[in-house]
Amino acid sequence: MSRLLVVDDEANIRLLYAEELKDEGYDVVTAGSSAEAAEKLQGSTFDLAVLDIKLKNESGIDLLQKLVKERHEMPVILCSAFSCYKDDFSAWLADGYVVKSGDLTELKQEIARVLAKKAQKVKSA
Amino acid sequence: MVGVGDEELLVSKRQRRLEKCGECPKFASDLKQLHAEDNPLAPLLSELLSENHRQKTQIQSLVSFLDNKTLEMRFLHELGSVLQSSVDLEEVLSVALTAITAGKGFGMNRAFLLLCDREAGILKGYLGIGPSSLNEASQVWDEIVQNDMDLQTLSQNFRVNKLSSERAKFHDVLEQLTIPLANKDHIVIKALDGRHPIMVQGAFQHPDVPPELARLLGVDTFLLMPLISRNRRIGMIIADNCITNRVITEEDMHSLETFGFPVAFAIERASLYDKLQVELSRVTEAGKKLKEQQELIVRMENMALVGRITSSIAHSVRNPLMIIGGFARSMLKNSPASDPKRTFIESIVAETHQLEGVLDEILNYSDSLYPTRDFWDVNQLVEATLRDTADILTSLGYATNYSSGHDLPPVYIDFKQLSYCLRTLLQNDLNGIGTDLSISISSQTGEDCVIIRIEDRSRHISQSELDHLLVPFSETHDLGTGLGLALCKTMLEKQGIPFVAQADEQNGIRYTISLPTSKEEQP
Repeated sequence: MSRLLVVDDEANIRLLYAEELKDEGYDVVTAGSSAEAAEKLQGSTFDLAVLDIKLKNESGIDLLQKLVKERHEMPVILCSAFSCYKDDFSAWLADGYVVKSGDLTELKQEIARVLAKKAQKVKSA
Repeated sequence: MVGVGDEELLVSKRQRRLEKCGECPKFASDLKQLHAEDNPLAPLLSELLSENHRQKTQIQSLVSFLDNKTLEMRFLHELGSVLQSSVDLEEVLSVALTAITAGKGFGMNRAFLLLCDREAGILKGYLGIGPSSLNEASQVWDEIVQNDMDLQTLSQNFRVNKLSSERAKFHDVLEQLTIPLANKDHIVIKALDGRHPIMVQGAFQHPDVPPELARLLGVDTFLLMPLISRNRRIGMIIADNCITNRVITEEDMHSLETFGFPVAFAIERASLYDKLQVELSRVTEAGKKLKEQQELIVRMENMALVGRITSSIAHSVRNPLMIIGGFARSMLKNSPASDPKRTFIESIVAETHQLEGVLDEILNYSDSLYPTRDFWDVNQLVEATLRDTADILTSLGYATNYSSGHDLPPVYIDFKQLSYCLRTLLQNDLNGIGTDLSISISSQTGEDCVIIRIEDRSRHISQSELDHLLVPFSETHDLGTGLGLALCKTMLEKQGIPFVAQADEQNGIRYTISLPTSKEEQP
């Protein structure tokens, strides 16, 4: 079972993601801030992280850069209410990008795609 | 005997004796008698009579000189008044040349005005005035005498009735009267640099007069009068008496020299006024542009504010909408088909989906307020759009093909906005879907542009319906479905990109977009 870390400042979104992704068969851990994410990451391994770009007063992009630096083996998917971040160079560090929607099909497809790619990479290595 | 004008002699016996007795035949006879009688007073009286006659002649000459000077002063005063009251270069020149050639002025037959062009480094023929034959001269001078006009009227008359014909008459001569300022050996430049008039006599043999100048003027004697103002070389007047051949005197030369200063000053002032007018017009134009720019900045700031507010609202709305829609879908997924509340949940899912579409378009609209243009490859734009839309179009059963033009130049566009526009045009969900589910895209080089044509044969609507969809927010119930086309049109208009949408109820819709290939085409 793949282990996912979901970071979003909205409690209800964390709940929605957790419910929906658990239904998809993932083990989901949620965090409401960068600090909480760092705490959850401490001593644990995750197969993938789903990050919101806007985390109250913090930037999800900063957290993304930190994760890429410290956990380069863990792919990251960015979620945002703004489609414009798709064209932001700094967002290109992420392995996937999804515009937030009540229909989580795209997010689920993206998670599956990124995990499959990671598995392929591990296999070929 | 007392004649007309001598009335004052009637009241002064002494004056009468001084003025008249010496000329009286009786006095002459008496004086002769005295000489015959060897009267000692006779030689004395003869000497006194002779001296009186000499002094009378001298006084008459001086009076005549003073009268001439008075006339000249009056003329110069009149000239000064006219020149001072004008800042129009044509008027000043008309006055100056009329003054030189008018009989009541300096009475020269012909005059040419040459002006310095410092930028070009030349002294250039500008205007000529004067009759070309004795007949014409007689006609003009008779006219002047008959009408007895003052200088201002004369010059106005010249300006209105004769300026253009004089220009045409002397066009060839004036064209040839172009002398480089650097040609220091040329007599005209010598006069200009020397800042003093030169009377040229024997022009055809004169060592300093180029033969072509003498031939051009066709006279042996002419006057060169430099126009100097505040030590600056303004121009030159060349005057002659080509018709009457009247001798140009030293007196004429001095009078013209006196006249030259106010003329030069007036010409310089009028030229400066012209330049000032040009500068004023430039400053006014610049001020107008500045005002337009300021208004544009204010408008853009307002638009930016609207964009930020829109974006902020949309973001704030998206999260709750996503939560509502997400949980509704989750509930729907887990509810049995027989659940009576399922319809309600389905409604929530459908409405949130619709609202999310509206949000996307509002966010895209606020993005459209700030186009970021650069040069892009058209094929990259079209092919990327086709890739982005391939899944959805294939799922709907559409077939697309792209025919690229040869050697397409790069186009100056906002890539993101154009991608959005092409995506929208390819997958807009208009009503009236026909049976031919094919979309053809082509590109070709146009005049300063690359033309992209999208022919969608699946959608059959009328031109009026299509035009209606191109108006933003024309019908609120179309939000989320119809706004896309209107937004495309707005985005393209903001980038100054021509966009034509033609609908044919039988053959579908054809979109034509002309993408500029240079920055100059942009607004």
